[in-house]
Amino acid sequence: MSDRRRINGPVGATIPPVSEDGASREVAGSRGGRSRPPNAIRKMYLKTGVTPSASGSAYLEIETSGRSGVSGLKLSCTVHGPRSLPRSSPFSPHIILSTHVKYAPFATRQRRGYLRDPSERDLGTHLEAALRGAIIADRWPKSGVDIIVSIIEGDQDRETSKTQGDESWDLMNALSGCITVASAALADAGIDCVDTVAGGVAALVSDKGDASPSIVIDPIPSEHDRILAACCIAYLPTRDEVTNLWFKGDLPASDTELYTKLVEKGIQASAKANRVLVECLGETVG
Amino acid sequence: MPVTILAPKAVRVGYGANPDHSDSEDSGSDPEGDVSMGLKRAAAGRKAAASGGSGSKYEIVTPGEVITDDPQWMRGHGTYVAPATTSIISSVAGTVTRTNKLLSVRPLRARYTPEVGDLVVGRIVEVQAKRWRVDVGSTQLASLPLSAINLPGGILRKRTETDELQIRTFFAEGDLLVAEVQQLFADGGAVLHTRSLKYGKLRNGVFVAVSGMGGGGGVVRSRRQVWTLESANGGGPVDIVLGVNGYVWISKHVETPEGLVDKTSGITNIEESVSATMYSSQNDRIGPETMREIGRIRGVVTALVDNGLRVDEDMVMRGYHEAVEMAMTSGEGPEDIYLGGERGEQLAAALTAV
Amino acid sequence: MASTQHVLLSPAELAYLHAALSLTPPIRPDGRAPAQFRPLVAETGILPGTNGSARICFADGTEAIVGVKAEVERTRLVDGATAGTEWKEGGSARGEGEDDDGGDKAGDSDWVELTVEIPGYRDDDAGTAFLAAMLSEALLADGAFAKRLWINRRFHWKLYLDVLLISPPLSYPLPLLSLTTHLALLATRLPRLKSEGDEDPFFDDDWAAARHLFPRSSSSTTKESARPPVTLLVMAVGNNIIFDPAKEELAVADVALAVSVAEDTTAAATTAATMDLDDAAAPAARSLRLLSIRTIDPPSRLTPPGVPNAANSAYGATTAQKQPEARTAEAEAVEGVWRAPRGGAKPLVMAALVQKVLEKGGVADEILDALDAVDLG
Repeated sequence: MSDRRRINGPVGATIPPVSEDGASREVAGSRGGRSRPPNAIRKMYLKTGVTPSASGSAYLEIETSGRSGVSGLKLSCTVHGPRSLPRSSPFSPHIILSTHVKYAPFATRQRRGYLRDPSERDLGTHLEAALRGAIIADRWPKSGVDIIVSIIEGDQDRETSKTQGDESWDLMNALSGCITVASAALADAGIDCVDTVAGGVAALVSDKGDASPSIVIDPIPSEHDRILAACCIAYLPTRDEVTNLWFKGDLPASDTELYTKLVEKGIQASAKANRVLVECLGETVG
Repeated sequence: MPVTILAPKAVRVGYGANPDHSDSEDSGSDPEGDVSMGLKRAAAGRKAAASGGSGSKYEIVTPGEVITDDPQWMRGHGTYVAPATTSIISSVAGTVTRTNKLLSVRPLRARYTPEVGDLVVGRIVEVQAKRWRVDVGSTQLASLPLSAINLPGGILRKRTETDELQIRTFFAEGDLLVAEVQQLFADGGAVLHTRSLKYGKLRNGVFVAVSGMGGGGGVVRSRRQVWTLESANGGGPVDIVLGVNGYVWISKHVETPEGLVDKTSGITNIEESVSATMYSSQNDRIGPETMREIGRIRGVVTALVDNGLRVDEDMVMRGYHEAVEMAMTSGEGPEDIYLGGERGEQLAAALTAV
Repeated sequence: MASTQHVLLSPAELAYLHAALSLTPPIRPDGRAPAQFRPLVAETGILPGTNGSARICFADGTEAIVGVKAEVERTRLVDGATAGTEWKEGGSARGEGEDDDGGDKAGDSDWVELTVEIPGYRDDDAGTAFLAAMLSEALLADGAFAKRLWINRRFHWKLYLDVLLISPPLSYPLPLLSLTTHLALLATRLPRLKSEGDEDPFFDDDWAAARHLFPRSSSSTTKESARPPVTLLVMAVGNNIIFDPAKEELAVADVALAVSVAEDTTAAATTAATMDLDDAAAPAARSLRLLSIRTIDPPSRLTPPGVPNAANSAYGATTAQKQPEARTAEAEAVEGVWRAPRGGAKPLVMAALVQKVLEKGGVADEILDALDAVDLG
């Protein structure tokens, strides 16, 4: 099949060499380290009312882990509505919620298109489930509200492209951010909610140094050797209720305690994010 | 065992047609034989038609098949006449029926076609300014005008603008009701009315949709579509409404609410109080025994339909007693009301054997 | 399709259903026990043009087919550094043959492509994307599945799973699609590899010699007992946990979860070993692994609320006529009147649901047993 009269190049694609800059070489040794304690989330910045033309809006930024080339999560959310449904749509005794989550084309390592891909639609469905439990839908019959979350910068590390399966774990971090920012924007739009809902992620990670896997909250995939399981939780703190639970990983069923602990930690992470959310909403009013 | 996984059945039974007969016809391999067969059938059909139609024999025709070319017959539903000929050709697959000189073909499976006087169970799908649009399982949504319902506060009260504004307090989207077909439009759409105390909103029970007025199984028009059954195992009386359209409602039998009569002043207002519960969406207290028996009756109805049997008062009553017996003897006791899968087949076999 | 498709049920029906399902034991509309599935008809190997296929049909007429097609694809080298090391290791490991189960036999989630098609729904519908993501997530969660598609360092199988619902979705089709996918994967066979090492793959064209993707044999080696995952739909009403809910049952759910489990291959071996020491009996012990959980947004939140008689103007209540808002009033719950649930679910309830799926000898266990019994043709 190959042309034997010529000297062929290597089979398969080659990739031009990537030169490492000094900074990344320095941290290369300490890669895998997590500078925060296991039950601390990253610092986040949340502000509501950033888009005056929308009924409600919010902006969320989660701090980078302090290294060059590592971006944090930057999300912006706009809420349009409640507004009357189009004439053609059937009567609804509740508010119709439609959620859109979109990565900006430049948000991730791999450029994304302008059309929403399946993973973004999937995130949208998760977000809808998380918010639907929080809003009081029967206060707004015959109306609809659009919630649009743009992920301006995904939580991705440029240096760790070789780590496999990274992206699927990133989705969880993105979702938890989406939930928090959408909740803030809903409150900003004045839509009745039973409680503020915030997202939190906990993961079971195994690091090279540790003998047994440990549970951390708000994990950054690049900081750990391997993530065994993770869960993203949307939690209503004053009602002590979970509106959305997304667990993924591989856990032995015989040890349900591990799973329970993971969920507990997820709730803890969510409660921490919720404090920021409540404080931010308080500032806007004050 | 939480799940039963069965191997696929080789042949499905339960349709009106005789499978052997149609098989042997389809397998005619040489084209000439087929043609002659077709001619013979047409001729046979003509002969049957000419002889006045005994009607005893099943006669299945398929679309495009010539039923007769005798000009004395008139074309009915499910047929058409080819231009410049007198032959009547079937346009659906079904059985030929003759009414005097009218030839029509009743399809094997069809959606419900409303007829005036039918008792139907329907579900509100749309609320308009002065009427409701009701799903009755027909090709068209039926309509229920605001003027065709009993308004609260006296049966023969005049409809006012307030009633129009409050149209959703009578029936809203999703509500189930039992009504009668009052008149028909030319396009097959029906107009319903609930101007009787036995009609109105349905509550205290469960709904199950089966096919109506088709071939094989389903609800058939019969003497009584609504009756009260004294259920076994202390379930008390249970109302069953078999809508001609194949929608079935099974609910706890409720007497006129005494408490309400007491509150309003005496006997003069009894009409009013009865019609008041007509638009209630609040269920009465229903005991677990009653719920269990209602569930059992629902199981009987679905088992009848799954096994291609007709659904009418007689079959439901016999099926129910059989189901009670089966539960008694099954070992799990009367608590067990499951009638799916094999048990449904057992039940159907027991009913057809008698 | 979304689980939250428009469910048109009257408030009275919803209140009745909720009351019946909250009893202990619950009375389900079709009389099933809480953990009982609808009876189903299953067969495999129905499509000769595929590597594996299956069909499952519920008694109510809901039917799904799954076809699995495999193609050989060149493995994309991830980046220069990794490729270099891989080649170096490859050189040394070459002589060991294809059967070595080394750690470098890594798979990639891109090697599996799963699409779901539901009639009447656009293929870019969010609900369909959600279903497809859920099914493939369970499949890829442990990373062991993609490893099965490894041919050599340069090539791998690309597996296309096409999940088709043939009938209109009469109930939330997740359990049906998952069970069908499970059977199709069990029936999937890949041609036997004839070439060795890292040369271009060359296969035996005798289909009879093809190997099962999930080999099944009575031998108790750890690798042989592996099975694809199953996803179960489970919901809670009141204090009851109900499996495989029908559409109208889901419409009154307090919370619904989709839980994916798989057989634990490694632990099964260890338990088997310990069991041999203890007693040779009970070989059926199976330990499960939890792969994924997703909350399914129950359609109950979108159901129309009932109106208590006290606030119903058509019932003769005068207060309601004076203040129309009283209809949607925040009145306290009245017995027999349906109110759509608000808020989420208590974490304890969710934990109980998961526990119920996973418990030993529980539903997941029995489902896997039942699927085991299906003739793979």
